[in-house]
Amino acid sequence: MTSLDIAPFANALVLGLSIASIWLIAAIGLTIIYGTVGVINMAHGEFIMLGAYTSYALQSSFGLPFLLCLPASFAVVALVGLVIERGLIRYLYNRPLDTLLATWGVSLVLMQGVRLIFGSDPKYIAVPEIFQSNVEVGFASLSVFRLVVLAITALIVAGTAYLFYRTRFGMQVRAVMQNKEMAASFGINADRVYMTTFALGAGLAGVAGSLFGVLAIVLPTMGTAYVVQAFLVVVVGGGTLMGSVAAAGLTGELQSVFAFITNDTFARFLLYVLIVVFLRFRPRGLFAVAKGRR
Amino acid sequence: MLLDLDRVTSYYGKTPILKEMGFSLPEGQCLCVLGRNGVGKTTLLRTIMGLTDRTSGEIRIDGDPIGKAPTHVRAKYGLGYIPQGRQILPHFTVKENILLGTFARTDGRQDVPELCLSLFPYLAQNLHRKAGLLSGGQQQQLAIARALATNPRILLLDEPTEGIQPNIVAEIGQTLGRLNKEFGITLILTEQHIKVARKLGDAFLMMENGRVVARGPIREMTDELIERHMTI
Ligand SMILES: Nc1ncnc2c1ncn2[C@@H]1O[C@H](COP(=O)(O)OP(=O)(O)O)[C@@H](O)[C@H]1O
Ligand SMILES: [Mg+2]
Repeated sequence: MTSLDIAPFANALVLGLSIASIWLIAAIGLTIIYGTVGVINMAHGEFIMLGAYTSYALQSSFGLPFLLCLPASFAVVALVGLVIERGLIRYLYNRPLDTLLATWGVSLVLMQGVRLIFGSDPKYIAVPEIFQSNVEVGFASLSVFRLVVLAITALIVAGTAYLFYRTRFGMQVRAVMQNKEMAASFGINADRVYMTTFALGAGLAGVAGSLFGVLAIVLPTMGTAYVVQAFLVVVVGGGTLMGSVAAAGLTGELQSVFAFITNDTFARFLLYVLIVVFLRFRPRGLFAVAKGRR
Repeated sequence: MLLDLDRVTSYYGKTPILKEMGFSLPEGQCLCVLGRNGVGKTTLLRTIMGLTDRTSGEIRIDGDPIGKAPTHVRAKYGLGYIPQGRQILPHFTVKENILLGTFARTDGRQDVPELCLSLFPYLAQNLHRKAGLLSGGQQQQLAIARALATNPRILLLDEPTEGIQPNIVAEIGQTLGRLNKEFGITLILTEQHIKVARKLGDAFLMMENGRVVARGPIREMTDELIERHMTI
C-alpha cells in the first residue's frame, strides 16, 4: 500500500468505530435485559422509537435542550419498561415462547399507539448547530454528532460496567444470574432485580432512540431499522456486556472495511454471511458463559 | 422456641414429599436429621427456606409465622442455609461469595465478618480467587462462611461432610461444634456420618418416606435404630 491509500482506509476504520458505537448503543439495553432477565425483548426496537418520540415531544412542546432530552427519554422509556414488566412480562418469566409473543404484541401496540398520537409523517429532532459541523479525526472526517454518540456510548458502557461489577446492586444481579435460588436464600429479591434491570434496559434503549432521532428521522417504524443490528450484536457477543462491546466493535469495523472495499449493501451481505458461519462454530457467541438459569 | 414446624406438608408439583412434619427447636440446640437417601431430608431444609413449590401447615421463628413468606424474606429471620452440593457461585470470587451472605443481614453491615476469616484461614488468604477453582472441602468452608455472613441464629446444614475427604470431615465437624457451643448458633444438620451426628447432636429425627419415624435426645439414637432405618 502506498501512503496515498492509507488515508481512505484509516477513514474507513474511524467510520467503523462510529458505526460500532451506534450498533452498541442500540444493543446495550437488549444485552442487559437478555443477559440478566433472560427475556428476548421483541419490543426493543419500539423502546428505541419511544425514546426518539419522547425527545421530539419534549423538544417541540417545551423547547427542552437536546442534551436534557437524553436523560428525560431515559426516564420516560424506563418507566414504560417498568409498567410493561410489572403488568405483563413478570407473569411469563419461565415461558420463553410466551414472552417472545407477548413482547412482540407490545411492540405492535407501542407502534400503533405512537402512530395514533403523532401520525405517520416523519418528525425531526433538532440539535445545536455545533453538532452538525464536521471535524477531522486523523485522516477521517466525521460529524461532531457522531463523536457525541461515540462519547455517550462510551460513557454508558462505563457506567453500566460500574453498576454491574462494582456496586451492591450489580452483585445482586450477577448472583441472580448464576443461581436464583441461592440468591434468594441469602436475602436477594430476584423479582425486584428483574424489574429494575428491565426498566434500566428499556431506559437505555430510550437514550439510543433519542440519538438515532438526530442521526436519521423519527418514524413509528424506525425501531425495526435498528433492532436487527442490536440482536446480531447480542447474539455474537453471547449476551454479556463485554461480549456486546467486542461484537459491536468487530462487526462495525468489518462492515465499514467491507464497504470501503466493495459497497454498503454487499458489505452487509458479507457481514451477515460471516456471522452465520461464526455462529455455526460458536453458537453461544464470543464469550460463552455457563449459566444456570431458572 | 426458636423454630417451630407445625404439621408441615410440602409439595413438588402435586406430590407431597414432606408429610405432616412437626418439631420444636430450642435456641442453641443441634438437631440431627437422619434417614436413607430420598426420605426427604433435603426437602425438609428446602421447605424451611421456602424453596419447594407449595407448603401447608405453619413454620414459626420466635413465634413469627414465616410459612407464607418468600425465600428472600425468610433469609432475614436469621436462617443461614448451607445446601447439599454447596452451591457456591462459581463465577464469584471467594470474597463475593461471602459478601452474598450480607444481603440477608438486618443490621446493615456489608463487610466480610471477622469470624469467617478467623475460622477459615484458607479463605482469608484466597479472597480474590474464583470460587469455582476451590476444592470440595474448600467450597464447603466457603458455603459455611457465606451462611455465617448472614449473622444467622440457625444454620441449616445439608450433608456438610458429603463428598469430603475423610481427614477434613473431622475438621468440619469441629468447626460446626464450635459454632454451636461457643457461638450459640442453633444447628439443623442432615448427616450420613453417624459419628459426626453423635458428636454434635443434642437431638435427632429419623425420617422415612417424608415422615418422622423416631425422635428423641441423641443418646436414644441406638445402633438398632440406625440399623433399621439407615441400612439399605
Ligand atoms: N425438585 C424436585 N421435584 C420433584 N421431586 C423431588 C424434587 N427434589 C426431590 N424430590 C423427591 O423428593 C424425595 C425426597 O428427596 P430429598 O429431600 O432430596 O431426600 P434426601 O435429602 O433425604 O435424600 C425423593 O423421592 C425425590 O425424588
Ligand atoms: Mg439430600
